[in-house]
Amino acid sequence: MNLGTRRMSTVRSDDEAFEDLFTAEYARVVRIANRVLADPHEAEDVAQEVFIDFHRLHSATAQYAPAWLHRAAAHTSLNRLRGARRRQKREVAQALEEGERTLDPQKQVEVDEDRRQVRVALGRLAPKPAAALAMRASGLSYAEVAQALGVGIGQVGTLLRRAEAALRKEVTRGTSN
Amino acid sequence: MVDDPDARAGEDAAHLEGCSECRGRFEGISDDARAVATLLAVHDAHVDVAGAFDRMLAAPAAQRRPIFRLPLIRPGRRPVVLAFAAVLAGVALIAAVVAGDLTLNFEPNTVTPVPVTVADMQALSQLSNYGDITWTKQPQLQAATSASDAEALAGMTAPVVSNLPSSVSKNITYGAMTQAEAVFTFSAEKARAAATTQGKTLPALPAGMDGATLTIKVGPAIGEIYGDLQKPAAGSDISQLTLPQLVVVKSSAPSATSTQVTVRQIEDYVLAQPGITPELKAAVQAIGDPSTTLLIPIPVAYTTSKDVTVQGVKGVALGDNTGVGAGVIWVKNGVVYAVAGSIKVDEAIAIANNLK
Repeated sequence: MNLGTRRMSTVRSDDEAFEDLFTAEYARVVRIANRVLADPHEAEDVAQEVFIDFHRLHSATAQYAPAWLHRAAAHTSLNRLRGARRRQKREVAQALEEGERTLDPQKQVEVDEDRRQVRVALGRLAPKPAAALAMRASGLSYAEVAQALGVGIGQVGTLLRRAEAALRKEVTRGTSN
Repeated sequence: MVDDPDARAGEDAAHLEGCSECRGRFEGISDDARAVATLLAVHDAHVDVAGAFDRMLAAPAAQRRPIFRLPLIRPGRRPVVLAFAAVLAGVALIAAVVAGDLTLNFEPNTVTPVPVTVADMQALSQLSNYGDITWTKQPQLQAATSASDAEALAGMTAPVVSNLPSSVSKNITYGAMTQAEAVFTFSAEKARAAATTQGKTLPALPAGMDGATLTIKVGPAIGEIYGDLQKPAAGSDISQLTLPQLVVVKSSAPSATSTQVTVRQIEDYVLAQPGITPELKAAVQAIGDPSTTLLIPIPVAYTTSKDVTVQGVKGVALGDNTGVGAGVIWVKNGVVYAVAGSIKVDEAIAIANNLK
């Protein structure tokens, strides 16, 4: 390999590393966001935003890349969940979708209402427990959750248990209001 | 154990069978876990990774920014804070010694960047070789989640960015610093020892120099960091830390007072010490009117600077329009302002002009 080729391959390797990272992590990033938002389309929006942010400022070869992406996916989608803009958009989208569904309309309304209550409750939790729940529910291992949140792996179990209890409490509070 | 049935084995499992209290807790936890799994159930998102990758690359915002690598910073929170405080004190000290005004209070109203090398900054830390630096008021640095918390700590209003570029995140982390006061007491004995270790003799000591004090006040200050300051995972290269997208700092202008000798004399004498590099000395002496100038040490590699008018006063803009890093610094009504980040210099100037 001459110098020119080697230099070209070095330049390309940065882009390749990013493409590899994207291929390996995109579906997981979408899954985390979808778990929070319960909206696959908006979850893909979040994933795009997260990858663009990463691409602009970080090296794809950084060891912390997957952990960064997972945390950013959880926080970005939780921020959207809490935003007024998001609530309005979701309600409009749900109203449109309801017309297209073949499921029993009464049953569908109940499912949607439950899902809405759960997301409102999730948005009320502190960011760290909410992110831990979303990551774990989307299939990340304890080690991956620990890395993404910057906590010790031994703390993840306790964090999740407390978050689960808190979410149930919030959901109950929401439905009894 | 809740997530993983295989974990229920051996002594733990046996204990669980026999202990009604633990079994009750375990069942409660399992119940929560099952309920949450149901609550968070969603339809799977079917993704087209290749299509998504193409869309991402096509997005205008995806244009790559070169990584702005910070100089190596060793991990460890306290040393970093101390180093930061030392740099602050150093900045104030240069400002003070250069002020050289016979009136003891100095209030700079313009800023001048001084290109410095790492060696120059290290030379500054050697000031402790010429005397004792004591903090009469320790700076308290505190991160705050809201502007009001930061304002309460610093006792000043937080600056408000009224024209944030769309590329900059709206997530703001506030930082506040209480006023810090450091006293540098010149010691002839220490200076002599320092000179000796460098194989040099101490320059002739002006009358009153031994035991002369220089009191520097810095802050209070408020800083706003836009975007996430990403903490890399353990074991990753710390030099990969990236500049925040935008940092806005507002600080009371530093002030300096002296005893026994004039600030000017301290300036001349400190700059004559063997530990100060000739480059820094030359740069400091090149300043036209030091009595009204605040010097900002800027790493040599980032010193593309130009004079600009910001909010009706003279300021200095650093950096360029590549978006790698740029900043604007100005002093108005006794307050130093700085706007910097991984933005273009034009954006920094626009933000500075519209800062409220």
